Amino acid sequence: MKILLAALLFAAGSALAGTVGQPAPEFTLADVSGKPVKLSDFRGRYVVLEWVNPECPYVEKHYGSANMQGLQKEFTSKNSVWLAINSTREGHYEYYPPQKMAGWMKEVGGAPSATLLDPTGKVGRAYQARTTPHMYIVDPKGVLVYAGGIDDKRSTSKADVKTAKNYVRAAMGEALAGKPISAASTAPYGCSIKY
Amino acid sequence: MAAQAAPVRTEQVEAELVAERSTPEPGKPFTVALRLKAIDGWHTYWRNPGDSGQPTSIQWQLPPGYRAGPLQWPVPEKLPIGPLANYGYEGEVLLLTDIAVPSGARAPARIAAHAKWLVCNPERCIPQEADLVLDPGGAPRAQQIAFTREALPESARTGWSLTASGAAGGVGLEIAPPADFRAKTLHYFPYDEGKVQHAAAQRLEQRDAGLRLFIPAAAQPLGAFDRLHGLLVADGVRGFEIDVPVRGAVVAAPAGAAGASLGFIAALALAFAGGLILNLMPCVLPVLSIKVLSFARGRDARAMRVHGLFYGAGVLASFLALAGLLIGLKAAGTAVGWGFQLQSPVFVALLAVLFLALALNLSGAFEFASLVPARLANASAAYPHADAFLTGVLAVVVASPCTVPFMGAAIGYALTESALVALAVFAALGIGMAVPYVLLAFEPRWLRRLPKPGPWMVSLKRWLALPLYATVGWLVWVLSIQVGFAGAPAAKSLWQPYSEARVAELVAQGKPVFVDFTAAWCVTCQVNKQLVLSRPETERAFAERGVRLLRADWTRQDPEITRALAALGRNGVPVYVLYRPGREPRLLPEILTREAVQAALAELST
Repeated sequence: MKILLAALLFAAGSALAGTVGQPAPEFTLADVSGKPVKLSDFRGRYVVLEWVNPECPYVEKHYGSANMQGLQKEFTSKNSVWLAINSTREGHYEYYPPQKMAGWMKEVGGAPSATLLDPTGKVGRAYQARTTPHMYIVDPKGVLVYAGGIDDKRSTSKADVKTAKNYVRAAMGEALAGKPISAASTAPYGCSIKY
Repeated sequence: MAAQAAPVRTEQVEAELVAERSTPEPGKPFTVALRLKAIDGWHTYWRNPGDSGQPTSIQWQLPPGYRAGPLQWPVPEKLPIGPLANYGYEGEVLLLTDIAVPSGARAPARIAAHAKWLVCNPERCIPQEADLVLDPGGAPRAQQIAFTREALPESARTGWSLTASGAAGGVGLEIAPPADFRAKTLHYFPYDEGKVQHAAAQRLEQRDAGLRLFIPAAAQPLGAFDRLHGLLVADGVRGFEIDVPVRGAVVAAPAGAAGASLGFIAALALAFAGGLILNLMPCVLPVLSIKVLSFARGRDARAMRVHGLFYGAGVLASFLALAGLLIGLKAAGTAVGWGFQLQSPVFVALLAVLFLALALNLSGAFEFASLVPARLANASAAYPHADAFLTGVLAVVVASPCTVPFMGAAIGYALTESALVALAVFAALGIGMAVPYVLLAFEPRWLRRLPKPGPWMVSLKRWLALPLYATVGWLVWVLSIQVGFAGAPAAKSLWQPYSEARVAELVAQGKPVFVDFTAAWCVTCQVNKQLVLSRPETERAFAERGVRLLRADWTRQDPEITRALAALGRNGVPVYVLYRPGREPRLLPEILTREAVQAALAELST
């Protein structure tokens, strides 16, 4: 009986939303080659989560200007992990099957540690991801330390990338230097995620 | 794209500048509108686009001396997309700008602009832009512009009384509108992003002094939610601009508290387990065990089974009836929760009489047969199905004072979901409660280990009457509090009465707050109070951590407490919650232990 009660209590209390300062919701998703990738396998390193949808003009802004690829290369080279997640539902016409998603990432010269597919939207919803792009940073202990936008210029114009304040670069810079993150929650902007 | 006087057409949008007069007059304001007309199913955005999207923007190119004012945004629509929501305009919208024309201006003037907008349907978004110029030869649109201006949001400063205070999971806005104000719906559209959970429904309640709108806060808020600045939109069309400071802090809803976070299957399982446990409660056990013992007398097996099934049907029907009543009351806008029956002194009095009759009966003070006319007494023999069914109903009635752990979470969940889901959860509760009895009716062999019926059963009955007498005493005590003979239990100075505002105020001061949601009629609450909360060591532990103690007494109807429970994803008492400044509140188990309290307090310093 006691075990049953404990199990039921656990079931009732286990649903946690992605909130800065709280443990990041755990997930396992298949990457574009079908290999399962588990968030907690990266304990000990910073993990950047990027919500992506190749069909979105705001995503196109940051890949077309090589901004996103630059960030991916910069931080994966500093022993951090970068997971690009596509939560577009299967059946939506913007949905990219694994091969197509892999092809697109290769074509644009993207360099994330892994490109993950979340066609049920379960992980996107757990993080309350709303837009593409929507960015998160998980610290080495598994705590969510940043949630929000990629930068402060809400537009689809590639020219704005140069003059914008890049929140992810700033947050990762502070985090890797052992400083507290000054802007830990910012407004994400972009296309809505096609749940 | 070259500047065009004619409308610019994209695949989704027709865009142009239109004016109220064909030419500006010197020294007079001149209103020009950016007219965007999206094809069916597509929309453009308001100044705050909501969860995604982009507000329309305009850069004016005007002759020297002309000055453009800000864009004047008509009342937006809330556009839900899956779990998200946007604010914008479907179809046609006119965004007005007042242009100050210098007194020495000479016609004709070239009024031009570069406009950018994002046009979306629920599936797709396309950023677009155009260079537009006002066509001096174009037909003036005085009427359409006047109409748009008329429908612009007005200031809610005069005649409105608004106060906002932080609460669990959001902000409560108390609204006393002007006397002639009538609206079926009200919705708050924030100017700022990142404060409000855009997709969430905002609950509107009628109150004595006016209305109250509960605005759920964003799960991931940007900065402090210390101001309501935006539009109150009545019936989807009339907008009133408000700017109200929020008193007290918004306390995050505890993780996993939102009803929806408990899955349907988990809620069914919890309800089923809760139903099973109900059988063991002191108010139910004596009544049922006597019934079960009679199984051992070995009646005709088939008759027993039918009896069991009718009993189960009685339990199930009672729970479904209760569910229907709750759903109906909620739909009618009454703030009720589980245990609402016991908030009625009449019901408590009837219950006390019923328990007294049962107890006296068990003690052998009288047999029902000697009190009721023979015809009625024989009825139970003549209509065994009705008798079994009514036993089921009785079991549910006597069980109602005992809210069991898990029932709180499951019922809280049920009542935030659709009526069908609620009925399913209550059915699971009923099945859980009926199962042991029905099984024993089908397999009376399991009772064979019991000694043969004999005098021992009479003494057992006498003993079983004791918890029933205790229940009577306790119901009388509840009744005396409800009707005001006895004051509420002498409140020690340690505990203060609960109010939403008080919680928000204390949390804003950086103080942790423990709230005991309780009621005199709730057995579990009383047990927890005696065994845990009133113990000196617990009180000392609270004092050491500087925790303020508030007691929310739900013995009688109290909409504020009902609402606070709902914000915690619950619908009944007991609920114990520790509000922690800067962190989400922590819910403690319904069966409280000193260890659980200590553990929660220890977390305060981590």
